[in-house]
Amino acid sequence: MKKVKTGSVISHTYLILLTFVSVFPLVWILISSVKGKGELTGNPTAFWPRTWTLDYYIHVIKDLNFFVNIKNSVIISLVTTLIAITVASLAAYGIVRFFKKLGSAMSKVLVTTYIFPPILLAIPYSVIMGKMGLINTRVGLIIVYLSFSVPYAVWLLTGFFRTVPVEIEEAARIDGANKMQTFVQVVLPLVAPGVVATAIYTFINTWNEFLYALILMNNTSKMTVAVALRSLDGAEILDWGDMMAASALVVLPSVIFFCLIQNKIAGGMADGAVKS
Amino acid sequence: MAKKNYTRWLFVLPAMVIVIALFIYPICSSVLYSFTNKNLIKATYKFIGFKNYVEVFKDSGFWLSFFHSLKWTVLSLAGQIVVGFTAAMALKRIEVGKGVYKTLLIIPWAFPSIVIAFSWKWILNGVYGFLPNILLKLGICETTPQFLTSGTMAFITLVMINIWFGAPMIMVNVLSALETVPRDQYEAAQIDGARPWQSFYYVTVPHIKMVVGLLVVLRTVWIFNNFDLIYLITGGGPAGSTQTIPLYAYNMGWSTKLIGRSSAVTVLLFIFLMIICGIYFAVINKWEREESK
Repeated sequence: MKKVKTGSVISHTYLILLTFVSVFPLVWILISSVKGKGELTGNPTAFWPRTWTLDYYIHVIKDLNFFVNIKNSVIISLVTTLIAITVASLAAYGIVRFFKKLGSAMSKVLVTTYIFPPILLAIPYSVIMGKMGLINTRVGLIIVYLSFSVPYAVWLLTGFFRTVPVEIEEAARIDGANKMQTFVQVVLPLVAPGVVATAIYTFINTWNEFLYALILMNNTSKMTVAVALRSLDGAEILDWGDMMAASALVVLPSVIFFCLIQNKIAGGMADGAVKS
Repeated sequence: MAKKNYTRWLFVLPAMVIVIALFIYPICSSVLYSFTNKNLIKATYKFIGFKNYVEVFKDSGFWLSFFHSLKWTVLSLAGQIVVGFTAAMALKRIEVGKGVYKTLLIIPWAFPSIVIAFSWKWILNGVYGFLPNILLKLGICETTPQFLTSGTMAFITLVMINIWFGAPMIMVNVLSALETVPRDQYEAAQIDGARPWQSFYYVTVPHIKMVVGLLVVLRTVWIFNNFDLIYLITGGGPAGSTQTIPLYAYNMGWSTKLIGRSSAVTVLLFIFLMIICGIYFAVINKWEREESK
Protein backbone atom coordinates (compact mmCIF):
# COMPACT_ATOMS: atom_id res chain seq x y z
CA MET A 1 0.00 0.00 0.00
CA LYS A 2 2.77 2.39 0.95
CA LYS A 3 4.64 1.64 -2.27
CA VAL A 4 1.70 2.74 -4.39
CA LYS A 5 1.66 6.04 -2.55
CA THR A 6 5.31 6.90 -3.13
CA GLY A 7 4.80 6.02 -6.79
CA SER A 8 2.02 8.49 -7.16
CA VAL A 9 3.90 11.18 -5.26
CA ILE A 10 6.82 10.82 -7.64
CA SER A 11 4.40 10.84 -10.59
CA HIS A 12 2.74 14.02 -9.38
CA THR A 13 6.06 15.77 -8.79
CA TYR A 14 7.27 14.80 -12.24
CA LEU A 15 4.05 15.88 -13.90
CA ILE A 16 3.99 19.22 -12.10
CA LEU A 17 7.53 19.88 -13.28
CA LEU A 18 6.67 18.94 -16.88
CA THR A 19 3.49 20.99 -16.78
CA PHE A 20 5.45 24.03 -15.67
CA VAL A 21 7.87 23.68 -18.59
CA SER A 22 5.06 23.01 -21.06
CA VAL A 23 2.98 25.98 -20.05
CA PHE A 24 5.68 28.53 -19.33
CA PRO A 25 6.16 29.87 -22.90
CA LEU A 26 2.43 30.51 -23.28
CA VAL A 27 2.22 32.20 -19.90
CA TRP A 28 5.30 34.26 -20.66
CA ILE A 29 3.89 35.39 -24.03
CA LEU A 30 0.67 36.53 -22.37
CA ILE A 31 2.40 38.29 -19.48
CA SER A 32 4.98 39.98 -21.70
CA SER A 33 2.24 41.23 -24.00
CA VAL A 34 0.50 43.23 -21.26
CA LYS A 35 3.41 44.60 -19.26
CA GLY A 36 3.74 48.39 -19.10
CA LYS A 37 6.28 50.42 -21.07
CA GLY A 38 9.88 49.69 -20.17
CA GLU A 39 9.11 46.76 -17.88
CA LEU A 40 10.20 44.10 -20.36
CA THR A 41 13.71 45.44 -20.65
CA GLY A 42 13.86 47.13 -17.24
CA ASN A 43 13.31 44.06 -15.12
CA PRO A 44 13.61 40.82 -17.14
CA THR A 45 13.01 38.46 -14.22
CA ALA A 46 9.90 40.14 -12.75
CA PHE A 47 6.93 37.84 -13.22
CA TRP A 48 3.86 39.94 -12.55
CA PRO A 49 3.34 43.20 -14.50
CA ARG A 50 3.58 46.39 -12.41
CA THR A 51 1.29 48.23 -14.77
CA TRP A 52 -0.99 46.63 -17.32
CA THR A 53 -1.42 47.85 -20.85
CA LEU A 54 -3.02 46.83 -24.13
CA ASP A 55 -0.82 49.24 -26.09
CA TYR A 56 1.09 46.45 -27.80
CA TYR A 57 -2.10 44.84 -29.06
CA ILE A 58 -3.40 48.18 -30.29
CA HIS A 59 -0.11 48.86 -32.07
CA VAL A 60 -0.08 45.46 -33.74
CA ILE A 61 -3.68 45.58 -34.89
CA LYS A 62 -3.92 49.25 -35.86
CA ASP A 63 -0.50 50.22 -37.16
CA LEU A 64 0.64 46.89 -38.54
CA ASN A 65 -2.71 45.94 -40.03
CA PHE A 66 -2.46 42.47 -38.52
CA PHE A 67 -6.20 41.92 -39.00
CA VAL A 68 -5.65 41.56 -42.74
CA ASN A 69 -3.33 38.61 -42.07
CA ILE A 70 -5.73 37.10 -39.56
CA LYS A 71 -8.49 37.35 -42.16
CA ASN A 72 -6.27 35.67 -44.79
CA SER A 73 -5.48 32.85 -42.41
CA VAL A 74 -9.09 32.34 -41.37
CA ILE A 75 -10.30 32.16 -44.98
CA ILE A 76 -7.50 29.89 -46.15
CA SER A 77 -7.78 27.54 -43.17
CA LEU A 78 -11.58 27.36 -43.33
CA VAL A 79 -11.76 26.60 -47.04
CA THR A 80 -8.94 24.06 -46.82
CA THR A 81 -10.67 22.35 -43.90
CA LEU A 82 -14.02 22.20 -45.68
CA ILE A 83 -12.58 20.67 -48.84
CA ALA A 84 -10.23 18.33 -46.99
CA ILE A 85 -12.89 17.00 -44.64
CA THR A 86 -15.37 16.38 -47.45
CA VAL A 87 -12.84 14.55 -49.59
CA ALA A 88 -11.31 12.69 -46.67
CA SER A 89 -14.62 11.55 -45.16
CA LEU A 90 -15.63 9.97 -48.45
CA ALA A 91 -12.24 8.34 -48.86
CA ALA A 92 -11.97 7.11 -45.28
CA TYR A 93 -15.45 5.61 -45.39
CA GLY A 94 -14.76 4.07 -48.79
CA ILE A 95 -11.53 2.50 -47.54
CA VAL A 96 -13.17 1.11 -44.42
CA ARG A 97 -16.35 -0.17 -46.01
CA PHE A 98 -15.87 -0.99 -49.68
CA PHE A 99 -12.26 -1.99 -50.10
CA LYS A 100 -11.65 -5.06 -48.02
CA LYS A 101 -8.44 -6.01 -49.83
CA LEU A 102 -7.35 -2.80 -51.55
CA GLY A 103 -8.10 -0.75 -48.44
CA SER A 104 -4.92 -1.63 -46.66
CA ALA A 105 -2.88 -0.88 -49.79
CA MET A 106 -4.61 2.50 -50.03
CA SER A 107 -3.81 3.26 -46.41
CA LYS A 108 -0.19 2.37 -47.10
CA VAL A 109 -0.07 4.81 -50.02
CA LEU A 110 -1.40 7.47 -47.67
CA VAL A 111 1.23 6.66 -45.08
CA THR A 112 3.85 7.10 -47.79
CA THR A 113 2.66 10.64 -48.34
CA TYR A 114 3.60 11.44 -44.73
CA ILE A 115 7.23 10.74 -45.49
CA PHE A 116 7.43 13.20 -48.39
CA PRO A 117 9.75 16.00 -47.32
CA PRO A 118 7.80 19.27 -47.55
CA ILE A 119 10.97 20.88 -48.84
CA LEU A 120 10.94 18.42 -51.77
CA LEU A 121 7.38 19.40 -52.65
CA ALA A 122 8.05 23.09 -52.11
CA ILE A 123 10.18 23.41 -55.24
CA PRO A 124 7.71 21.97 -57.77
CA TYR A 125 4.82 23.69 -55.99
CA SER A 126 6.42 27.06 -56.37
CA VAL A 127 7.27 26.40 -60.02
CA ILE A 128 3.75 25.17 -60.84
CA MET A 129 2.02 27.96 -58.94
CA GLY A 130 4.26 30.46 -60.68
CA LYS A 131 3.28 29.08 -64.08
CA MET A 132 -0.42 29.15 -63.19
CA GLY A 133 -0.19 32.66 -61.81
CA LEU A 134 -1.26 31.48 -58.35
CA ILE A 135 1.64 32.95 -56.36
CA ASN A 136 0.29 35.37 -53.76
CA THR A 137 -3.23 34.03 -54.11
CA ARG A 138 -5.35 32.25 -51.54
CA VAL A 139 -6.41 29.66 -54.12
CA GLY A 140 -2.80 28.63 -54.70
CA LEU A 141 -2.08 28.16 -51.02
CA ILE A 142 -5.34 26.28 -50.43
CA ILE A 143 -4.49 23.80 -53.20
CA VAL A 144 -1.05 23.22 -51.71
CA TYR A 145 -2.50 22.81 -48.21
CA LEU A 146 -4.68 19.94 -49.40
CA SER A 147 -1.45 17.98 -49.82
CA PHE A 148 -1.05 17.47 -46.11
CA SER A 149 -4.56 18.07 -44.81
CA VAL A 150 -6.26 15.36 -46.87
CA PRO A 151 -3.93 12.45 -45.95
CA TYR A 152 -3.98 13.45 -42.26
CA ALA A 153 -7.73 13.70 -42.21
CA VAL A 154 -8.13 10.34 -43.96
CA TRP A 155 -5.82 8.79 -41.37
CA LEU A 156 -7.81 10.13 -38.43
CA LEU A 157 -11.22 9.54 -39.98
CA THR A 158 -10.44 5.92 -40.88
CA GLY A 159 -10.14 5.26 -37.17
CA PHE A 160 -13.51 6.87 -36.46
CA PHE A 161 -15.40 5.22 -39.32
CA ARG A 162 -14.13 1.83 -38.28
CA THR A 163 -16.14 2.13 -35.06
CA VAL A 164 -19.46 2.18 -36.95
CA PRO A 165 -21.07 -1.28 -36.88
CA VAL A 166 -21.89 -2.50 -40.37
CA GLU A 167 -25.28 -3.85 -39.17
CA ILE A 168 -26.66 -0.33 -38.79
CA GLU A 169 -25.85 0.39 -42.39
CA GLU A 170 -27.33 -2.85 -43.59
CA ALA A 171 -30.62 -1.91 -41.94
CA ALA A 172 -30.61 1.37 -43.84
CA ARG A 173 -29.80 -0.39 -47.07
CA ILE A 174 -32.71 -2.75 -46.62
CA ASP A 175 -34.92 0.29 -46.19
CA GLY A 176 -33.89 1.26 -49.71
CA ALA A 177 -31.17 3.85 -49.09
CA ASN A 178 -28.32 3.88 -51.59
CA LYS A 179 -24.64 4.06 -50.66
CA MET A 180 -24.42 7.82 -50.60
CA GLN A 181 -27.66 8.21 -48.62
CA THR A 182 -26.52 5.64 -46.10
CA PHE A 183 -23.25 7.49 -45.75
CA VAL A 184 -24.72 10.96 -45.30
CA GLN A 185 -27.82 10.10 -43.28
CA VAL A 186 -26.72 7.17 -41.17
CA VAL A 187 -22.95 6.98 -40.89
CA LEU A 188 -21.92 10.64 -40.75
CA PRO A 189 -24.16 11.52 -37.78
CA LEU A 190 -22.72 8.58 -35.86
CA VAL A 191 -19.14 9.77 -36.28
CA ALA A 192 -19.94 13.49 -36.12
CA PRO A 193 -17.81 14.12 -33.00
CA GLY A 194 -14.82 12.49 -34.70
CA VAL A 195 -15.40 14.46 -37.88
CA VAL A 196 -15.59 17.72 -35.93
CA ALA A 197 -12.38 16.89 -34.05
CA THR A 198 -10.62 16.08 -37.32
CA ALA A 199 -11.89 19.31 -38.85
CA ILE A 200 -10.56 21.34 -35.95
CA TYR A 201 -7.23 19.53 -36.11
CA THR A 202 -7.01 20.25 -39.84
CA PHE A 203 -7.84 23.89 -39.21
CA ILE A 204 -5.09 24.22 -36.60
CA ASN A 205 -2.49 22.57 -38.84
CA THR A 206 -3.31 24.89 -41.72
CA TRP A 207 -3.40 27.92 -39.43
CA ASN A 208 0.06 26.98 -38.10
CA GLU A 209 1.68 26.06 -41.44
CA PHE A 210 4.80 28.01 -42.31
CA LEU A 211 7.01 26.71 -45.15
CA TYR A 212 4.54 26.75 -48.05
CA ALA A 213 3.15 30.10 -46.97
CA LEU A 214 6.71 31.43 -46.88
CA ILE A 215 7.50 30.44 -50.45
CA LEU A 216 4.09 31.22 -51.99
CA MET A 217 3.07 34.45 -50.24
CA ASN A 218 5.54 37.30 -50.41
CA ASN A 219 3.17 40.23 -50.44
CA THR A 220 2.45 41.47 -46.90
CA SER A 221 -1.25 41.97 -47.54
CA LYS A 222 -1.58 38.36 -48.77
CA MET A 223 0.41 36.71 -46.01
CA THR A 224 -1.02 34.31 -43.48
CA VAL A 225 -0.42 35.02 -39.79
CA ALA A 226 2.57 32.68 -39.51
CA VAL A 227 4.52 34.39 -42.27
CA ALA A 228 3.36 37.88 -41.32
CA LEU A 229 4.63 37.26 -37.80
CA ARG A 230 7.97 36.15 -39.14
CA SER A 231 8.29 39.38 -41.13
CA LEU A 232 8.04 41.25 -37.82
CA ASP A 233 11.21 39.55 -36.61
CA GLY A 234 14.07 41.98 -36.64
CA ALA A 235 11.96 44.92 -37.78
CA GLU A 236 13.31 48.13 -36.24
CA ILE A 237 9.95 49.61 -35.29
CA LEU A 238 9.03 46.68 -33.12
CA ASP A 239 9.92 45.70 -29.65
CA TRP A 240 9.39 42.39 -27.91
CA GLY A 241 6.06 43.53 -26.50
CA ASP A 242 4.64 43.88 -30.00
CA MET A 243 5.98 40.51 -31.01
CA MET A 244 4.46 38.87 -27.93
CA ALA A 245 1.08 40.53 -28.51
CA ALA A 246 1.05 39.32 -32.10
CA SER A 247 2.16 35.86 -30.99
CA ALA A 248 -0.67 35.73 -28.47
CA LEU A 249 -3.20 36.51 -31.20
CA VAL A 250 -1.85 33.67 -33.32
CA VAL A 251 -1.31 31.01 -30.67
CA LEU A 252 -4.42 31.37 -28.54
CA PRO A 253 -6.96 30.09 -31.08
CA SER A 254 -4.76 27.05 -31.77
CA VAL A 255 -4.28 26.22 -28.11
CA ILE A 256 -7.91 26.69 -27.10
CA PHE A 257 -9.31 24.60 -29.95
CA PHE A 258 -6.67 21.97 -29.49
CA CYS A 259 -7.44 21.50 -25.81
CA LEU A 260 -11.08 20.91 -26.72
CA ILE A 261 -10.37 18.05 -29.12
CA GLN A 262 -7.22 16.45 -27.69
CA ASN A 263 -8.91 13.30 -26.41
CA LYS A 264 -10.48 12.48 -29.75
CA ILE A 265 -7.30 13.06 -31.72
CA ALA A 266 -5.15 10.72 -29.67
CA GLY A 267 -7.56 7.81 -30.03
CA GLY A 268 -8.12 8.55 -33.70
CA MET A 269 -4.42 8.55 -34.49
CA ALA A 270 -3.83 5.22 -32.85
CA ASP A 271 -6.87 3.57 -34.42
CA GLY A 272 -6.31 4.98 -37.88
CA ALA A 273 -2.67 4.03 -37.89
CA VAL A 274 -2.50 0.61 -36.41
CA LYS A 275 -5.48 -1.35 -37.57
CA SER A 276 -5.14 -0.39 -41.22
CA MET B 1 -22.79 -6.70 -58.36
CA ALA B 2 -21.02 -4.88 -61.18
CA LYS B 3 -22.69 -1.63 -60.17
CA LYS B 4 -21.57 -2.09 -56.60
CA ASN B 5 -17.96 -2.30 -57.62
CA TYR B 6 -18.33 0.79 -59.74
CA THR B 7 -19.84 3.28 -57.28
CA ARG B 8 -17.42 2.46 -54.49
CA TRP B 9 -14.67 4.10 -56.52
CA LEU B 10 -16.54 7.41 -56.37
CA PHE B 11 -15.82 7.55 -52.65
CA VAL B 12 -12.07 7.32 -52.98
CA LEU B 13 -11.69 9.08 -56.34
CA PRO B 14 -11.37 12.72 -55.13
CA ALA B 15 -8.69 11.76 -52.61
CA MET B 16 -6.84 9.76 -55.27
CA VAL B 17 -6.89 12.72 -57.64
CA ILE B 18 -5.44 14.94 -54.91
CA VAL B 19 -2.72 12.47 -54.04
CA ILE B 20 -1.73 12.06 -57.69
CA ALA B 21 -1.82 15.78 -58.46
CA LEU B 22 -0.06 16.91 -55.29
CA PHE B 23 2.44 14.08 -54.80
CA ILE B 24 3.05 11.98 -57.91
CA TYR B 25 3.32 14.91 -60.29
CA PRO B 26 5.63 17.01 -58.06
CA ILE B 27 7.96 14.11 -57.25
CA CYS B 28 8.28 13.39 -60.96
CA SER B 29 9.11 16.99 -61.75
CA SER B 30 11.61 17.14 -58.87
CA VAL B 31 13.39 14.09 -60.20
CA LEU B 32 13.35 15.68 -63.66
CA TYR B 33 14.70 19.03 -62.40
CA SER B 34 17.46 17.26 -60.54
CA PHE B 35 19.01 16.29 -63.88
CA THR B 36 18.86 19.84 -65.27
CA ASN B 37 20.50 23.19 -64.61
CA LYS B 38 17.12 24.77 -63.84
CA ASN B 39 17.38 28.15 -62.15
CA LEU B 40 14.71 29.94 -60.11
CA ILE B 41 14.89 33.12 -62.18
CA LYS B 42 15.66 31.75 -65.66
CA ALA B 43 13.01 30.26 -67.91
CA THR B 44 15.14 27.91 -69.99
CA TYR B 45 17.09 24.93 -68.79
CA LYS B 46 18.84 21.91 -70.24
CA PHE B 47 19.73 18.39 -69.17
CA ILE B 48 23.11 18.00 -67.55
CA GLY B 49 22.99 14.36 -66.49
CA PHE B 50 24.22 13.49 -63.02
CA LYS B 51 26.23 16.70 -62.63
CA ASN B 52 24.01 18.04 -59.82
CA TYR B 53 24.39 14.87 -57.83
CA VAL B 54 28.15 14.86 -58.34
CA GLU B 55 28.36 18.51 -57.23
CA VAL B 56 26.25 17.80 -54.16
CA PHE B 57 28.36 14.81 -53.15
CA LYS B 58 31.51 16.87 -53.60
CA ASP B 59 30.22 19.68 -51.36
CA SER B 60 31.47 19.36 -47.79
CA GLY B 61 28.55 21.60 -46.71
CA PHE B 62 26.14 18.87 -47.78
CA TRP B 63 27.87 16.22 -45.69
CA LEU B 64 28.06 18.54 -42.71
CA SER B 65 24.34 19.26 -43.02
CA PHE B 66 23.63 15.56 -43.32
CA PHE B 67 25.61 14.93 -40.15
CA HIS B 68 23.69 17.72 -38.38
CA SER B 69 20.44 16.16 -39.57
CA LEU B 70 21.36 12.77 -38.15
CA LYS B 71 22.39 14.29 -34.83
CA TRP B 72 19.28 16.46 -34.70
CA THR B 73 16.99 13.51 -35.44
CA VAL B 74 18.55 10.98 -33.08
CA LEU B 75 18.82 13.37 -30.13
CA SER B 76 15.36 14.91 -30.60
CA LEU B 77 13.69 11.55 -31.12
CA ALA B 78 15.35 9.97 -28.10
CA GLY B 79 14.42 12.95 -25.94
CA GLN B 80 10.83 13.05 -27.15
CA ILE B 81 10.36 9.34 -26.55
CA VAL B 82 11.90 9.38 -23.08
CA VAL B 83 9.91 12.42 -21.94
CA GLY B 84 6.71 11.35 -23.72
CA PHE B 85 6.90 7.81 -22.40
CA THR B 86 7.70 8.69 -18.80
CA ALA B 87 4.95 11.33 -18.80
CA ALA B 88 2.45 8.76 -20.10
CA MET B 89 3.50 6.25 -17.44
CA ALA B 90 3.17 8.90 -14.74
CA LEU B 91 -0.29 9.85 -16.00
CA LYS B 92 -1.34 6.21 -16.03
CA ARG B 93 -0.25 5.88 -12.44
CA ILE B 94 -2.10 8.81 -10.82
CA GLU B 95 -5.78 9.00 -9.98
CA VAL B 96 -6.54 12.67 -9.46
CA GLY B 97 -5.87 15.54 -11.83
CA LYS B 98 -5.22 13.41 -14.88
CA GLY B 99 -7.40 15.50 -17.17
CA VAL B 100 -5.90 18.78 -16.01
CA TYR B 101 -2.33 17.58 -16.48
CA LYS B 102 -3.11 16.16 -19.88
CA THR B 103 -4.74 19.35 -21.12
CA LEU B 104 -1.86 21.51 -19.93
CA LEU B 105 0.84 19.11 -21.11
CA ILE B 106 -0.34 19.00 -24.71
CA ILE B 107 -0.25 22.79 -25.13
CA PRO B 108 3.15 22.80 -26.92
CA TRP B 109 1.71 20.52 -29.61
CA ALA B 110 -0.70 23.27 -30.68
CA PHE B 111 2.01 25.93 -31.04
CA PRO B 112 2.67 27.27 -34.54
CA SER B 113 6.39 27.04 -35.26
CA ILE B 114 6.72 30.80 -35.57
CA VAL B 115 5.33 31.25 -32.06
CA ILE B 116 7.61 28.51 -30.72
CA ALA B 117 10.47 30.49 -32.23
CA PHE B 118 9.35 33.86 -30.90
CA SER B 119 8.53 32.70 -27.41
CA TRP B 120 11.77 30.76 -26.90
CA LYS B 121 13.91 33.45 -28.52
CA TRP B 122 12.37 35.89 -26.08
CA ILE B 123 12.72 33.63 -23.03
CA LEU B 124 16.34 32.82 -23.97
CA ASN B 125 17.28 36.29 -25.20
CA GLY B 126 20.90 37.01 -24.26
CA VAL B 127 20.14 40.45 -22.81
CA TYR B 128 16.53 40.61 -21.66
CA GLY B 129 15.60 36.94 -21.60
CA PHE B 130 13.91 35.50 -18.52
CA LEU B 131 15.97 32.32 -18.28
CA PRO B 132 19.49 33.79 -18.69
CA ASN B 133 18.69 36.52 -16.19
CA ILE B 134 17.16 34.22 -13.62
CA LEU B 135 20.17 31.87 -13.88
CA LEU B 136 22.41 34.87 -13.34
CA LYS B 137 20.37 36.11 -10.39
CA LEU B 138 20.34 32.71 -8.69
CA GLY B 139 24.09 32.53 -9.11
CA ILE B 140 23.94 29.39 -11.26
CA CYS B 141 25.80 31.20 -14.03
CA GLU B 142 28.44 33.86 -13.61
CA THR B 143 27.77 35.66 -16.86
CA THR B 144 24.50 35.83 -18.80
CA PRO B 145 24.39 32.48 -20.65
CA GLN B 146 24.09 32.69 -24.44
CA PHE B 147 21.76 29.92 -25.54
CA LEU B 148 21.45 30.67 -29.22
CA THR B 149 24.60 32.46 -30.28
CA SER B 150 27.30 29.84 -29.74
CA GLY B 151 27.40 26.80 -32.01
CA THR B 152 27.18 23.78 -29.72
CA MET B 153 24.89 25.53 -27.27
CA ALA B 154 22.56 26.62 -30.07
CA PHE B 155 22.31 23.04 -31.30
CA ILE B 156 21.50 21.68 -27.84
CA THR B 157 18.97 24.44 -27.27
CA LEU B 158 17.25 23.62 -30.57
CA VAL B 159 17.03 19.95 -29.64
CA MET B 160 15.58 20.88 -26.23
CA ILE B 161 12.94 23.07 -27.87
CA ASN B 162 12.11 20.26 -30.27
CA ILE B 163 11.68 17.86 -27.35
CA TRP B 164 9.44 20.40 -25.65
CA PHE B 165 7.36 20.57 -28.82
CA GLY B 166 7.25 16.87 -29.76
CA ALA B 167 7.00 15.00 -26.46
CA PRO B 168 3.27 15.74 -25.94
CA MET B 169 2.32 13.88 -29.10
CA ILE B 170 4.27 10.80 -28.02
CA MET B 171 2.79 11.08 -24.53
CA VAL B 172 -0.82 11.26 -25.70
CA ASN B 173 -0.47 8.35 -28.11
CA VAL B 174 1.45 6.14 -25.71
CA LEU B 175 -1.12 6.88 -23.01
CA SER B 176 -4.01 5.88 -25.22
CA ALA B 177 -2.12 2.73 -26.16
CA LEU B 178 -1.45 1.95 -22.49
CA GLU B 179 -5.14 2.24 -21.80
CA THR B 180 -5.91 -0.55 -24.25
CA VAL B 181 -3.89 -3.03 -22.18
CA PRO B 182 -6.44 -5.23 -20.38
CA ARG B 183 -6.22 -4.78 -16.62
CA ASP B 184 -6.70 -8.49 -15.89
CA GLN B 185 -3.44 -9.31 -17.66
CA TYR B 186 -1.58 -7.19 -15.13
CA GLU B 187 -3.45 -8.92 -12.33
CA ALA B 188 -2.60 -12.31 -13.80
CA ALA B 189 1.06 -11.31 -14.04
CA GLN B 190 0.98 -10.14 -10.44
CA ILE B 191 -0.52 -13.40 -9.26
CA ASP B 192 2.23 -15.23 -11.12
CA GLY B 193 4.71 -13.20 -9.08
CA ALA B 194 6.00 -10.96 -11.87
CA ARG B 195 8.13 -7.98 -10.87
CA PRO B 196 7.08 -4.54 -12.17
CA TRP B 197 9.65 -4.56 -14.97
CA GLN B 198 8.59 -8.08 -15.93
CA SER B 199 4.96 -7.16 -16.24
CA PHE B 200 6.03 -4.08 -18.21
CA TYR B 201 8.09 -6.20 -20.60
CA TYR B 202 5.71 -9.14 -20.97
CA VAL B 203 2.34 -7.42 -20.70
CA THR B 204 2.71 -3.75 -21.62
CA VAL B 205 5.28 -3.90 -24.41
CA PRO B 206 3.51 -6.44 -26.64
CA HIS B 207 0.30 -4.40 -26.46
CA ILE B 208 1.74 -1.04 -27.29
CA LYS B 209 4.65 -1.82 -29.56
CA MET B 210 2.66 -1.47 -32.78
CA VAL B 211 1.43 2.01 -31.91
CA VAL B 212 4.78 3.10 -30.57
CA GLY B 213 6.60 1.58 -33.53
CA LEU B 214 4.50 3.48 -36.02
CA LEU B 215 4.83 6.63 -33.98
CA VAL B 216 8.59 6.31 -34.04
CA VAL B 217 8.58 5.93 -37.83
CA LEU B 218 6.47 9.02 -38.33
CA ARG B 219 8.36 11.04 -35.73
CA THR B 220 11.71 10.14 -37.30
CA VAL B 221 10.53 11.39 -40.65
CA TRP B 222 8.94 14.55 -39.27
CA ILE B 223 11.99 15.48 -37.26
CA PHE B 224 14.32 14.76 -40.16
CA ASN B 225 12.15 16.88 -42.46
CA ASN B 226 11.71 19.70 -39.99
CA PHE B 227 12.46 23.03 -41.54
CA ASP B 228 10.45 25.60 -39.62
CA LEU B 229 11.95 25.33 -36.17
CA ILE B 230 15.58 25.60 -37.17
CA TYR B 231 14.95 28.15 -39.88
CA LEU B 232 12.99 30.39 -37.54
CA ILE B 233 15.10 30.05 -34.42
CA THR B 234 18.70 30.06 -35.67
CA GLY B 235 18.35 30.16 -39.46
CA GLY B 236 20.98 27.41 -39.55
CA GLY B 237 23.52 29.58 -37.74
CA PRO B 238 25.66 30.58 -36.00
CA ALA B 239 28.08 29.94 -38.88
CA GLY B 240 26.15 26.95 -40.25
CA SER B 241 26.41 25.01 -37.00
CA THR B 242 22.69 24.15 -36.98
CA GLN B 243 22.15 23.77 -40.72
CA THR B 244 20.35 20.53 -41.58
CA ILE B 245 19.49 19.06 -44.98
CA PRO B 246 16.12 20.80 -45.42
CA LEU B 247 17.77 24.18 -44.72
CA TYR B 248 20.64 23.31 -47.03
CA ALA B 249 18.15 22.50 -49.79
CA TYR B 250 16.14 25.64 -49.10
CA ASN B 251 19.21 27.89 -49.30
CA MET B 252 20.28 26.15 -52.49
CA GLY B 253 16.87 26.76 -54.04
CA TRP B 254 15.89 30.18 -52.78
CA SER B 255 19.15 31.93 -51.96
CA THR B 256 21.43 30.58 -54.67
CA LYS B 257 18.46 30.01 -57.03
CA LEU B 258 19.85 26.65 -58.13
CA ILE B 259 16.57 24.77 -58.39
CA GLY B 260 18.14 21.86 -60.23
CA ARG B 261 20.75 21.20 -57.60
CA SER B 262 18.31 21.84 -54.78
CA SER B 263 16.02 19.21 -56.32
CA ALA B 264 18.90 16.75 -56.34
CA VAL B 265 19.33 17.34 -52.60
CA THR B 266 15.64 16.83 -51.85
CA VAL B 267 15.48 13.70 -53.99
CA LEU B 268 18.43 12.27 -52.07
CA LEU B 269 16.70 13.20 -48.81
CA PHE B 270 13.58 11.40 -49.95
CA ILE B 271 15.47 8.27 -50.99
CA PHE B 272 17.21 8.23 -47.62
CA LEU B 273 13.90 8.51 -45.76
CA MET B 274 12.38 5.75 -47.89
CA ILE B 275 15.21 3.43 -46.93
CA ILE B 276 14.80 4.27 -43.23
CA CYS B 277 11.04 3.70 -43.45
CA GLY B 278 11.57 0.48 -45.37
CA ILE B 279 13.67 -0.86 -42.51
CA TYR B 280 11.17 0.27 -39.89
CA PHE B 281 8.23 -1.24 -41.74
CA ALA B 282 10.06 -4.52 -42.22
CA VAL B 283 10.40 -4.68 -38.43
CA ILE B 284 6.78 -3.74 -37.83
CA ASN B 285 5.56 -6.29 -40.36
CA LYS B 286 7.60 -8.93 -38.58
CA TRP B 287 5.88 -8.00 -35.30
CA GLU B 288 2.54 -8.20 -37.04
CA ARG B 289 3.26 -11.69 -38.33
CA GLU B 290 4.42 -12.81 -34.90
CA GLU B 291 1.27 -11.38 -33.37
CA SER B 292 -1.06 -13.18 -35.75
CA LYS B 293 0.67 -16.50 -35.10
